[in-house]
Amino acid sequence: MFLTKEEEGMLNGEYGLGVQRSMELLVKLGEAFDAEKMIMAQSAHIHCAISLDLLSELTEGAAQCRITTTTHPTPYPNLLDPVGCKRIGLPGNYDIYEFIHAGPWNKIEAIFKRLGYFLTYTCVPFYVGNLPKMGDVISWGGTSGAITATSMFSACGSRDSVPANVATSITGRAPYMGMAIKENRYAQVLVELDSLNNFTNADYGALGYYIGGKTGSKNVVISGLPQGLTLEQFRYLVSPMPVSGATNICHVVGVTPEARSLDEALGGRKPEEVITVGKDHIKEAVDRLTTADSDRVDLVKLGCPHCSIAELRNIASLLAGRKVHPNVRLFVATAKQIYVLAEAMGYVDVIKKAGGVFTNTCIGSQDPFNLLGPKLGVEIVATNSARSAHYSARTSGGEIKLLYGSTEQCIDAAITGRWRAT
Amino acid sequence: MKLKGHKINGGKVEGEAIVCSDAFSFLGDFDPTTGNCTIKSPELEGKSMIDKILVCPTGKGSSRGPLNTYRAMKLKKSPNAIVCIEAEPVLAAAAIVANMPMVDRLDKNPLEVIKTGDWVKVDGDNGIVEVIQ
Repeated sequence: MFLTKEEEGMLNGEYGLGVQRSMELLVKLGEAFDAEKMIMAQSAHIHCAISLDLLSELTEGAAQCRITTTTHPTPYPNLLDPVGCKRIGLPGNYDIYEFIHAGPWNKIEAIFKRLGYFLTYTCVPFYVGNLPKMGDVISWGGTSGAITATSMFSACGSRDSVPANVATSITGRAPYMGMAIKENRYAQVLVELDSLNNFTNADYGALGYYIGGKTGSKNVVISGLPQGLTLEQFRYLVSPMPVSGATNICHVVGVTPEARSLDEALGGRKPEEVITVGKDHIKEAVDRLTTADSDRVDLVKLGCPHCSIAELRNIASLLAGRKVHPNVRLFVATAKQIYVLAEAMGYVDVIKKAGGVFTNTCIGSQDPFNLLGPKLGVEIVATNSARSAHYSARTSGGEIKLLYGSTEQCIDAAITGRWRAT
Repeated sequence: MKLKGHKINGGKVEGEAIVCSDAFSFLGDFDPTTGNCTIKSPELEGKSMIDKILVCPTGKGSSRGPLNTYRAMKLKKSPNAIVCIEAEPVLAAAAIVANMPMVDRLDKNPLEVIKTGDWVKVDGDNGIVEVIQ
């Protein structure tokens, strides 16, 4: 593998032990996948589940990270709204989460800070100062952020691991492989939509969940979605794809910068496969995500990925002057930075007065209710997130039953305590 | 039987094979505190993977998988090596951070020629896997 003088120096230890170990890891990874060289990376995003010993090993002696680096949600639910979290049964005692970290959290956070990682603690780094542009090489933990950045902004984020994310933040380099190579980005499977319109967020999520399940690790292009697709809608669409499948990039013709036309997304070639998706397929995905067979709802969760300010405004307007049913917990996840803005706008007050509880933890794969739910009387959970529904069903070992639908359906269930199908 | 393949991570090691027919994730399919396999199947669930040679098609799942092999290595509960059909970056990193030799792209399908319980020698540096029944 070709290395520049500076990269050789990193590998030989001229920049300290942490940089050396990080470069060793990246060189081994690059060589395993026949990468010819290292390239400059522009952005990293770090999962908080990294253990203190591994983080220390990869960063020892490094004064600062070399590129813009943000951090993923912590496993602690009660950082934004400790009073609300206590009320719905989530303990303030961090010890129960020790098994995730294998190390004291304050020491991990101190290293993050020393390195200049922005303590964003969110899965939507592009909302809080880590916004890649077309062609930027990114090494991001969290598949929802990575597929959104790669597909909506045409950044180069590949399927990657937490240690590699740290190594790239410390060295500013990534092996030249995966999505950084233009040839690897062209769409292989064309998805055509059959008489689908008036999509809710839940329809976008179900569509993405269905497509991921059908296409595995193949690159996707969707033709026929509205050109005015918002970032929220785009996130609902692509976030479930790496969960039901292993998608790296999903081109949306007319939205993805490198997919101005179908032909451009396909690189001028014919698709390997064409899939047509209609109403029945959306229903099939919704049925797969729905594992509850009762209309009772114990918990409603919104914000996987974390809610944007526009979503919080929508939730606040749906809740204004109403009250969450006494038997239901309403759990809303967002970034602290967005929460502060929502507070200034009065949305936080409206949602809290109605009985909603805020968190900036992960309410998908690491949702505290996935493990604690049954002990707290939470068995049936409603959500507008296909990603979160999928993970809750699995990480709870099937003990949590799911209901899946639009934000409006979810809020209605939070107020009435009952799920109403559309 | 000697199989020739492609180096993912170097080092020489040997051990008993544990064959998993589906794509493997060290987050979900493995418990780093016990070293046991957690795949819900009669052949695999609860079986120790400590010092074993994991044979699987490829990797899948969470980017956190390598955190678990690293932790298992510290607790001396990790497998010894990985042999797979085609590696992907998360499974490769799981091997690299835990110093496990790993080989892929062999001239024969390892899932067809290696059975659970076979003694397997892995030479990661040269990409060679030797199966001793």
